[in-house]
Amino acid sequence: MTNVVIAGYARSPFTLARKGALARVRPDDMAAEVVRGLIAQTGVKPEDIEDIIVGCAFPEGEQGMNVGRLIGLLADLPISVGGCTVNRFCGSSMQSVHIAAGQIQLGAGEVFIAAGVESMSRIPMGGYNPLFNPVLAKKSPGAYMGMGETAENVARRWQITRDAQEEFAVKSQKKAAAAQAAGKFVAEIIPIHAKAGVIDTDGCIRGETTKEALAGLKLAFDQEGTVTAGTSSPLTDGASAVLVCSEAYADKHGLKKLARIKSVGVAGVEPEIMGIGPVRSSKKALDRAGLKGSDMDVVELNEAFASQALASISEIGFREEATNIDGGAIAIGHPLGATGARIVGKAASLLAREGGRYAIATQCIGGGQGIATVLERI
Amino acid sequence: MAGEISKVCVIGAGVMGSGIAAQVANAGIKVLLLDILPKDGNNRNAVAEGAVARALKTDPAPFMSAAAAKLIECGNIEDDLARVAECDWIVEVVLERLDVKQALYHRLEAVRRPGTAISSNTSTIPLKVLLEGMPESFAHDFMITHFFNPPRYMRLMELVTGPATDQALAARVAAFCDVKLGKSVVACHDSPGFIANRLGVFWMTGAVTETPEIGLTIEEADAIMGSPFGVPKTGVFGLSDLVGLDLMPHVNASMAGALPKHDEFHAINRDIPVVRKLLETGYTGRKGRGGFYRINKTGGKRVKETIDFATGEFRLELKPNLPELAAAGKDVRKLLEAPGRVGTYAWNVMGRTLAYAAKLVPEAADDITSIDEAMRLGYNWKWGPFELIDKVGVDWFVSRLRAENIAVAPILEAAAGRTFYRVEGGKRQYLGLDGAYHNLTRPDGVLLLEDLKLAAKPVLKNGSAAVWDIGDGVLCFEFTSKSNSLDDQILALLQKAIALVKEKHKALVIYNEGSNFSVGANVGLALFAANIAAWSQVEALIATGQEMMQKLKYAPFPVVAAPSGMALGGGCEFLLHSDAVQAHSETYAGLVECGIGLLPGWGGCKEMLGRWATDPSMPRGPMPAPTKVFEMISTAKVGRSAADARDMLILRSGDGVTMNRYRLLADAKAKALSLVEGYKPPEAREIVLPGPSGKVAMDQAVAGFARLGQATKHDIVVGGELATVLTGGGTDIIDTVKETKILELERESFLRLLKTSATLARIEHMLETGKPLRN
Repeated sequence: MTNVVIAGYARSPFTLARKGALARVRPDDMAAEVVRGLIAQTGVKPEDIEDIIVGCAFPEGEQGMNVGRLIGLLADLPISVGGCTVNRFCGSSMQSVHIAAGQIQLGAGEVFIAAGVESMSRIPMGGYNPLFNPVLAKKSPGAYMGMGETAENVARRWQITRDAQEEFAVKSQKKAAAAQAAGKFVAEIIPIHAKAGVIDTDGCIRGETTKEALAGLKLAFDQEGTVTAGTSSPLTDGASAVLVCSEAYADKHGLKKLARIKSVGVAGVEPEIMGIGPVRSSKKALDRAGLKGSDMDVVELNEAFASQALASISEIGFREEATNIDGGAIAIGHPLGATGARIVGKAASLLAREGGRYAIATQCIGGGQGIATVLERI
Repeated sequence: MAGEISKVCVIGAGVMGSGIAAQVANAGIKVLLLDILPKDGNNRNAVAEGAVARALKTDPAPFMSAAAAKLIECGNIEDDLARVAECDWIVEVVLERLDVKQALYHRLEAVRRPGTAISSNTSTIPLKVLLEGMPESFAHDFMITHFFNPPRYMRLMELVTGPATDQALAARVAAFCDVKLGKSVVACHDSPGFIANRLGVFWMTGAVTETPEIGLTIEEADAIMGSPFGVPKTGVFGLSDLVGLDLMPHVNASMAGALPKHDEFHAINRDIPVVRKLLETGYTGRKGRGGFYRINKTGGKRVKETIDFATGEFRLELKPNLPELAAAGKDVRKLLEAPGRVGTYAWNVMGRTLAYAAKLVPEAADDITSIDEAMRLGYNWKWGPFELIDKVGVDWFVSRLRAENIAVAPILEAAAGRTFYRVEGGKRQYLGLDGAYHNLTRPDGVLLLEDLKLAAKPVLKNGSAAVWDIGDGVLCFEFTSKSNSLDDQILALLQKAIALVKEKHKALVIYNEGSNFSVGANVGLALFAANIAAWSQVEALIATGQEMMQKLKYAPFPVVAAPSGMALGGGCEFLLHSDAVQAHSETYAGLVECGIGLLPGWGGCKEMLGRWATDPSMPRGPMPAPTKVFEMISTAKVGRSAADARDMLILRSGDGVTMNRYRLLADAKAKALSLVEGYKPPEAREIVLPGPSGKVAMDQAVAGFARLGQATKHDIVVGGELATVLTGGGTDIIDTVKETKILELERESFLRLLKTSATLARIEHMLETGKPLRN
């Protein structure tokens, strides 16, 4: 079978929704600038790109109208390059990577851009017109359940205490702050040119936070629960993109190969505990690769909430020191549609940076799903 | 227009300066706000900018909207003073120090445009002193404009001009303060404390001094000096706490220093050990730890305590028990004549204050009306001093003064055997120093039902409403029920009024002069009906209300509602069914029914849906409008200004705002007349609503708030009914929903809610305590 590689990774800075520097930037503009940056960084010939596949969780308003195609046009990709939009909620842009890999192995193209975008400032979570099916709402209450409530359910069922969540959140913040201070995000961030100036720095990270500070926060979803804003990923604006191509194409054109895609998996779980989605999907992907969670040298597990991250990590058996080395979404932010491509790209570049053989990127998905991608060092 | 004030410079960004700047901005006028350089830091405008930021967080809010704050440009007097040349009026609100003020004046004189008005907001320094050594050109443009704190809410502005002041310029400033800033401008002489503070400080000082001497508790003193005299029920000690105890010694010292030796103030102005002790221990009033009253939170409970004059210590608040006070009732003279401590206190404080007021004509003002207006608007007295003297009787009052060897002022002599005010030929008249009565004249653009009622009878009237002919073919519909609450009688008279206008008039204005336009329907009636299960009557009341609102909306003539104060529930629904609203800037409107477990039943849901669904700023689709309306109604949101009401779409783009309460009716009448020519009633709207799919999302949102403890058990029920109405019941998104369908849903849900015991408990609790029950 054709080998598929990740040959480049870039993202915009991630900033807080409504309060952050990207709040006034259109998502399509933001994503187009990241795509342009990725092309410049990798040196890929734009005319070789088959398709740009953009993940987005709420593809309407400024990120509607098949924004994938529009981003291609905005980024001045050759007119011959296709463009589509993919929605698997938080797993959208990881799905973009999977589609690209599948197409390559199908022989339906050699080079793809798998991107993701979400402006949570400009398009409300849930969209402008949430019209829930009353029959389904009754039959399967979790189908439309708010994410905070699912985080509480996971915390209850897996007995993840507030204290443990806060400890996890503080660690994530410290790791991200240290990585930021050491300049470890510079290479992956494409500065965004906005009317108000150039935006080139992540805005969500709170390295100064402490367990005491988090302990003082109000409960965010349930007065009898344990989850606060401090142990949840923030509403975030951002875009990300990875270059996915056949290994042969990368070799032929001298592209820098970050990692090879070893296996992928997607799985459904009960909607009301959607946060546990990484467990089943990772297991599928790991089984397909003949590996175990403890074999992973690099783990990028999206921290939608501390409760679900802790439950998933312990269920799968990931090693703590291998997990979210530069911090996770609680610190960096989680622009829904953009997260999947970020963590695949991040896992690939960490494998290149840190050494080791295998990496995995995995995340939970609203509505009760998980998705995972196993990578191998080249 | 030449001479129009289109930009104002306020120098000094303290509480008063920033408050004045905010009120100018509230009027939509640009402001340059300057203060000194900060002690440290790089931002040279930090002092003024800090003041605006603080004002945005202050409650009660100095700003009517966040947008108003953007009209203020901040600067400092070192870099930006020359920019006063851009401004048409410069208001100085700096430290109350002559040297500081005059130094600034000299600098201003060098940079301002000649002819630019300059005024000081001083409360203690006479104009002639401020002008000492200043050039003639400065004196020509200079005056005192004395605002009261907080400038947005206090309607009084005292204007002092000097012999050199350009009177045309002063008139321009006065007109600006009246029309744009909404102030009642009272002309004062250049005498210490002008009018309101001169009299107010005398009154408060007397009240504090007399209390321990007569041996009253603070609660007793406030009970006597409060509501019986038409004074806010905070009384004097409550008011001192509000104003700040720390200000009292300064104000009294400056007043004592400025007043001539023979002034009666000196006799009552003395050091009070208890006050000194309070200040020494940090009790500066409500802004600090407390004052004469405090809330003691030690021990986890909030306990109200009062200072005891005898011991100088705080003790539990004591409810006053004064039979003499109760016996006097509303009879002010009986109170002044009451036996024992009550009558002694009432006379020693208020009797002497009224005598002191009488001598302020002509010392502080030309006529009695200025003094009465200053006390009504500057101290929120219901009656001015001369109105109070009329209530007790001039002759009785003078004979009592004589009996006690208190000097009788000339204006009192002039009034012998008469009253200070009278109605003659349908006009209100006041007594002048010349012994003759003069017509009380109103400025152009002021129309008051209060005046009209002296000369005319209502064209229609019943127990809860009246209709007045306000001329030029316009009728005015007035609520007259208690608190202007809405009932079946109001609806009945409205029907007659609509028929009458149709028959022989051009337009209808809905307006009244109560402190609130209307606080909503009389829920006591609904509760009564529910308790005897008279459901058909309740349904009829709802249906009649809906019918009348629809008639109002589709009447073949323009209808203009002119609210001031609260316009809640049904009161708000009157606004929503009028063709236009001319609102007083201090209008607080909202649909608050959910607070008592009900929902808007007279078309409020229908109108808000229609407005939001057709608002061009909304995203497309069936859900955004119902979601927005659901947020507002389910939380019983009330706008905190007319500007807020505009943001809530209770006011529409063509609707007007009047800053001066006195000008509201004339503006509303003009608005109605402007709509007469070619008037066509609006067309009924049909809108697309999301149906049951949308309700699921709303129910889910409420459930989320309930988990967080922010919505109660009954909120879920009320929210569910509201969601049913706002999403159009069983409608489908390929259909449109007619107004009549939404009205039907309102009626059904209203009745279902009224039949729940939790809603009845909420209504009962509200009627008994005035507060919402969170069940």
